[in-house]
Amino acid sequence: MNRRKLSDSTYGLLLIAPVFVIVAGILFLPTVYTIFLSLTNFSFLKGHTLRFVGLTNFVTIFSDTEFVGSLWNTVFFTLVTVALELLAGLVLALILNRSFAFMGLLRTTILFPWALPTALNAIIWRWLYNPDFGFFNSILLQLGLTTAKTNWLGEIPLSMYSMMAVAIWKTSSFMALILLTGLQTIPNDLYEAAEIDGAGWFSRLRKITMPLLVPSILLALLFRSMDAFRAFELPFALTEGGPAGSTQTLSLFGYRQFFQFLKFDTGSAVSVIQFILIMFLGALYLRVFRTEND
Amino acid sequence: MRWQLVQRAGTILFKYLFVLFLVVLFFFPVVWILLTSIKTTGDIYAWPPVYIPLHPTLQNYHVVLFGSKLGRYIANSVIVSSLSTVSVLFFASMAGYSIARIRFRGRQAILVFFLSMSMFPQLAIVPSLFVWFRQLGLINNFLGIVLAYTGLFSPIALWILATYFRTIPLEIEESAKLDGCGRLRILWSILMPLSIPGVIAAALIVFIQTWNEFFLALVILSKNLLRTATVGIALYPGEYAFPWELITTATFLAIVPIFILTAVFQKQIIGGLTAGSVK
Repeated sequence: MNRRKLSDSTYGLLLIAPVFVIVAGILFLPTVYTIFLSLTNFSFLKGHTLRFVGLTNFVTIFSDTEFVGSLWNTVFFTLVTVALELLAGLVLALILNRSFAFMGLLRTTILFPWALPTALNAIIWRWLYNPDFGFFNSILLQLGLTTAKTNWLGEIPLSMYSMMAVAIWKTSSFMALILLTGLQTIPNDLYEAAEIDGAGWFSRLRKITMPLLVPSILLALLFRSMDAFRAFELPFALTEGGPAGSTQTLSLFGYRQFFQFLKFDTGSAVSVIQFILIMFLGALYLRVFRTEND
Repeated sequence: MRWQLVQRAGTILFKYLFVLFLVVLFFFPVVWILLTSIKTTGDIYAWPPVYIPLHPTLQNYHVVLFGSKLGRYIANSVIVSSLSTVSVLFFASMAGYSIARIRFRGRQAILVFFLSMSMFPQLAIVPSLFVWFRQLGLINNFLGIVLAYTGLFSPIALWILATYFRTIPLEIEESAKLDGCGRLRILWSILMPLSIPGVIAAALIVFIQTWNEFFLALVILSKNLLRTATVGIALYPGEYAFPWELITTATFLAIVPIFILTAVFQKQIIGGLTAGSVK
């Protein structure tokens, strides 16, 4: 066995092969198999014969009002949280871009919500929102700002807004981090030149910062909207999808099809719909990104 | 002159206030559960509310660590995340080296493959993985979750590592090659030690992500005693009628390691995160 006889090309492929096999086996092939499952009447029952049923599962799922509701919840959740996160992230990034004392403390502060496990963060906020002993109601009642206990997670449509607030709190800082990287690549002399020309703060923001920041914004939007679209543990641990399905997302609905009702056929149809929508989202951003770059 | 001084003082004051605002905004939820965790049960459910515990106690910590399954969940997380991080770094370093240093046909296509794989939603892989892992005996098996995490988090790790490998001057490798070093020797004993910041960043990001991962951990490790911290604690409220004093304690304990890691290595983590997003 002589290593030297291997060409660079073979060696390159050989080094990458293990990861390739594992990633294909854990992500790619299962997705393909799920697409296959969504077209069958798969069941765990003994003596069951597997056969193709065409698009029956998709018809079934679209006539389920709970599914349509969770699809709408997911779209609404994604649109609102990502838009507000972008706004908050932008403000944060613009301020952080100036030199600052306590840079280490600030970085830790910004990183902390990102590093928090989403599920545990949901538990923390469930406690903050607790109607009887939670932090928010205690403060609001004692300051006399409200006169009755607010049922943050138990009322429609407040439950959805409360959940969105948690998501925005957690991920705005990650948004800021990506945007900050983009801001730091903008050459300083552009600003200096503009200042000499007498451009004010706002026109510098509008004419220099924003146009040059577009690639970073698109990237941040792509990451975040795909993430928000598959939100799972946030409703799982915060509200369990309730009340009356008002905070149920696609992922949570799909999970229940699988592991509560053991319906792997219609459940897979939910997976496939989510998969197609997310890929569509990715392709859309890529398209915009390309035209922006031209 | 005096006006300028006032203005400068104002800016500095604003900056301090802003830092303070952010610290309060992002830390108050955790401070609140920390306070809850050291209160007596009576104080937790008292009205008017008790904000600062008058009789701080470590009783809840004692119960969580020695008298409940919550301590076990945290231990499981330590095992799963450590094994997964080692596994990811082992495979991703070889692949990252290949991507950074070796020109071969199909390199670009493989990169695109990895990148698009990282967009695949968990909901799409979960049913198939469950069916397959059940047949292979990988459900309720740490090996199963480590394998799944290796697939899930290798793409980001190899991306970060490749970015760092590229910053190491080629000459160092060339001279090692002349001395007769094989490629793997170069990777393990030259490139990896020289890219320590990148290796730390990749390791931490993978460790934190696996510690936080929920969906696959929920499905693959469903047996009560094998649950990871995030899953075990999140399922606790439903199963034991909300003992908030224990839930907040366990949550705080499960966050501490993550918090220490990010506080100590914030520079490296941000470097790693942005290495993944800039290119």
